[in-house]
Amino acid sequence: MTQQEMLQALQDLIGADKVRTDTDALITFGRDWTKIHEPKPSAIVFPRSTQEVQALVKFANQHQLALVPSGGRTGLSAGAVATQGEIVVAFDYMNKLLEFNPVDRSVTVEAGMITEQLQQIAEEKGLFYPVDFASAGSSQIGGNISTNAGGIKVIRYGMTRDWVTGLRVVTGQGDILELNNRGLLKNNTGYDLRHLFIGAEGTLGLITEATIQLARAPKDLQVLVLGVVGMAEVMQVLHTFQTSLDLTAFEFFSHNALEKVVEHQGLNAPFDTQAPYYALIEFETTQEEQLEEAMRLFEACVEQGWVVDGAMSQSEQQAQNLWRLREDISETISQYTPYKNDISVRVSKVPQFLAEVDQVVSEHYPDFEIVWFGHIGDGNLHLNILKPENLAKEEFFSRCHQVSQWVFAIVSRYQGSVSAEHGVGLIKKDYLHHTRTPEEIAYMKAIKRAFDPHNVLNPGKIFDL
Amino acid sequence: MKVLVAVKRVVDYNVKVRVKADQSDVDLTNVKMAMNPFCEIAVEEAVRLKEKGVATEIVVVSIGPKKSEEQMRTAMALGADRGILIETDEALDSLAVAKLLNKVVADEQPGLVLLGKQSIDTDNNQTGQMLSALAGMSLGTYASEVAIEGEQLNLVREIDGGLQKLQLKLPAVVTVDLRLNEPRYARLPDIMKAKKKPLEVKTPADYGVDTASKVTTLKVEPPAERQAGIKVASVEELVDKLKNEAKVI
Ligand SMILES: Cc1cc2nc3c(=O)[nH]c(=O)nc-3n(C[C@H](O)[C@H](O)[C@H](O)COP(=O)(O)OP(=O)(O)OC[C@H]3O[C@@H](n4cnc5c(N)ncnc54)[C@H](O)[C@@H]3O)c2cc1C
Repeated sequence: MTQQEMLQALQDLIGADKVRTDTDALITFGRDWTKIHEPKPSAIVFPRSTQEVQALVKFANQHQLALVPSGGRTGLSAGAVATQGEIVVAFDYMNKLLEFNPVDRSVTVEAGMITEQLQQIAEEKGLFYPVDFASAGSSQIGGNISTNAGGIKVIRYGMTRDWVTGLRVVTGQGDILELNNRGLLKNNTGYDLRHLFIGAEGTLGLITEATIQLARAPKDLQVLVLGVVGMAEVMQVLHTFQTSLDLTAFEFFSHNALEKVVEHQGLNAPFDTQAPYYALIEFETTQEEQLEEAMRLFEACVEQGWVVDGAMSQSEQQAQNLWRLREDISETISQYTPYKNDISVRVSKVPQFLAEVDQVVSEHYPDFEIVWFGHIGDGNLHLNILKPENLAKEEFFSRCHQVSQWVFAIVSRYQGSVSAEHGVGLIKKDYLHHTRTPEEIAYMKAIKRAFDPHNVLNPGKIFDL
Repeated sequence: MKVLVAVKRVVDYNVKVRVKADQSDVDLTNVKMAMNPFCEIAVEEAVRLKEKGVATEIVVVSIGPKKSEEQMRTAMALGADRGILIETDEALDSLAVAKLLNKVVADEQPGLVLLGKQSIDTDNNQTGQMLSALAGMSLGTYASEVAIEGEQLNLVREIDGGLQKLQLKLPAVVTVDLRLNEPRYARLPDIMKAKKKPLEVKTPADYGVDTASKVTTLKVEPPAERQAGIKVASVEELVDKLKNEAKVI
C-alpha cells in the first residue's frame, strides 16, 4: 500500500477533513511534552465516534499499520510520540459530555474531553472531580486514564484509577468492549479488564468513552506553606499533620525551586525566613476546630525545631498564589533544559533515598544544580537537574544518562518505582526492569498479545515485544 | 502618627456568586468570605508605613457581622495593633458606614485614614469620599503611590489616560487602588499573636448613628447569558449580520 493509497483509504473511512498531513499537524500531533524525539508520523486522524475508531483499528490490522493514540500530549514519558511513520489517532473531536447522573454521582464523557472541562462540569453540578495537576488545562481524560495520572490530591483522593468506574474501548484487535457496564460499583464477575486499560499507555486498546465517579466538593480549603529545616523533618511534619487532619495535599519543594519561581513568575515568597525545604499543606475546614488544630500542629513543629516559619492563605486568591509556588516550578525550570525524573519510594524511606541521590550526583557532577519537588505525601519525588549554562546540551544529557543509571540503581535498592505517575512510554522503557521482575514483564507481554496480536497499538512503548 | 484602616468582610473574590431563587439577593449561605481585596492593600500600606517608622499605631476598624472578626484578626496578623468592630447584621449604605467611621475618626484622631477604593460586593466607591467630607479631612482617591513627609502627603493617583500627582495636607483620607502594593501573606506565628491583640466590639447605637437605609433592593438578576458565537463564511455575510442582525453599523 502506497502512502497515497493509505491516505485515500483513511479519508474514505472517516472523511477527508479529518485526515491531516500538513507539516504543522505532523509536528504538533507527533509528539508529547517531552520533545526529545523527532516526530515523524505519516498522518494524523481525528475520529468522531467509537465506530470510526474501530474502523481505523481494523484498517490498521488489515494493513499492518501502527497507530499512536494521542490525547492532550502533555505526557512526560514519550507515550504519545510517533517516530516511525505511525498514524496518530487524535481524540480532539471526541470531547462530548454524554450523560450526567446525579443519583450515581457520575458522568460519562468521550475520551477527548479536556481534564479541566470535566472538573468544571463537576463544579457546575455541585460536585468535584478530584484528580488535578498543572497540565489539567490541556490534558484529556483519555490520556489521564491511559497514564493513570496522579497529581496533587492523591494523598486524599487517590489516582485516576480510583475514579474510573466504566470504560468503552476498542481493543488492538478491533473489538468494542463495554467494561463494567457504565459504572457498576459492585461487579465481581471474573477479571476486571477495565483496570488493565488504565495505565496501559494506549498499548492494549483505544479508550473512547469513560464513566467517572464524582466526589462531594471539599469545603473551604486552607493552604499552609511551612519552611522546614531538612528532608527528614519534612516527613516528620507530614506525619504530625496527618495524625489529626485529613490532608488533601502535601507537597514539597526545595529552596532553589522557590527562588526561581518567585523570580520568574513575579510571585511573592510566603515569608522572608529562608529554609532548605518548604512543605505545602492543604486541608479542608468544615469546622473552626480544624483551623485551631492546624495552628497547634504548627506550634508543635516549631517547638520540635522542624519548622522555622509558616504562612497561611487568607483568601481563595492567596490559596491559589501559594499553590503557584509549587505548580509553576515545572514550567519555570523548563528554560534551564532540565533532566527530569519521576520516582517514588515508600514514604518512610524518602529522606535517606533523597540524600543518597543528592550525594551521588554532587560527588560526580558538583556543578549540577538539583531541584527537588513533588508529591511527597505519596513518596513521589520529581528530581530535576538543571543544565549548567556552559555545558552543551548533548554532553549534558549524556552525563544525565549516566546519572539515570545511578539513580535507578538506588531506586531498585529501595524497592521504589522508576516511574511514579508519568508512565513508561519510550523514556523509561530501558529501566522497566528496575521496578518489574522478568516474570511480571513476561505476563505483561502476554496480555499485550491477547488484546493486540498484530502489535498495531503504540508499538515499542513500555517494552518491545 | 496613628493610622486608621477600614476593612470589610466580603464574598471571596474567586467565588462564583449565585442569585437566590427568590431574587431577593445573592446567595451567601456557605459561601467563602474574605477581606475585600482593596482593603488588603490598605492594610499592607499601613504596615509598610509602620515599618518605615512613619506610622506609630495601626487601628483596624470594620463594620459588619460578628464574623468580620476573622478579617480583623488577619489585619492584626499582618501588623495592625488593635481593632474596633462595629457589629451589625444589616447591609449598610455607604453613607451610614461613612458616618460611623467619622465617629471613630473623632474618637481616635488618626493622622491618616486608609480605605479600599471600593468593596467588591457592592462596588459603590463612595465611602472614602463621604468620610472625608464628613470629617473635614483632605482626600486622595485611587492611590497608586503614597509617601509622607512631615505634615504633607504626596500621592500618585490613577486617572483616565495617566497619573496625577497630588499633595495633601494631613490629616487625610486616602482610598487605595490595585497597583499600590502587593499584600504579603499572614505568617502563622503572627496569626497566633494576633489572637491576643485587643479587639473592641461596639454597635452603631453606641455611636448614636441612624443606619436605616434609604435604598431598597427590588430584585437581583444574574447578567444575561452570553449567546454562542457563529462562524460566518465571508466578509459580506459579516457586514450583513452586523448591519441587519446586530444593528451596530
Ligand atoms: C506541567 C506538567 C505537570 C504535570 N503534572 C503531572 C502530575 O502531577 N501527575 C501526573 O500524573 N502527570 C503529570 N503530568 C503528565 C501528564 O500531564 C499526564 O500524564 C496526563 O495524564 C497526560 O494526558 P494527555 O491527554 O496529555 O496524554 P498524552 O500525553 O496525549 O498521552 C499519554 C499516553 O496516553 C495514550 N493515550 C492518550 N489518549 C488515549 C486514548 N484515548 N486511548 C488510549 N490511549 C491514549 C498516549 O498514547 C500516551 O501513551 C504533567 C505534565 C506537565 C506538562
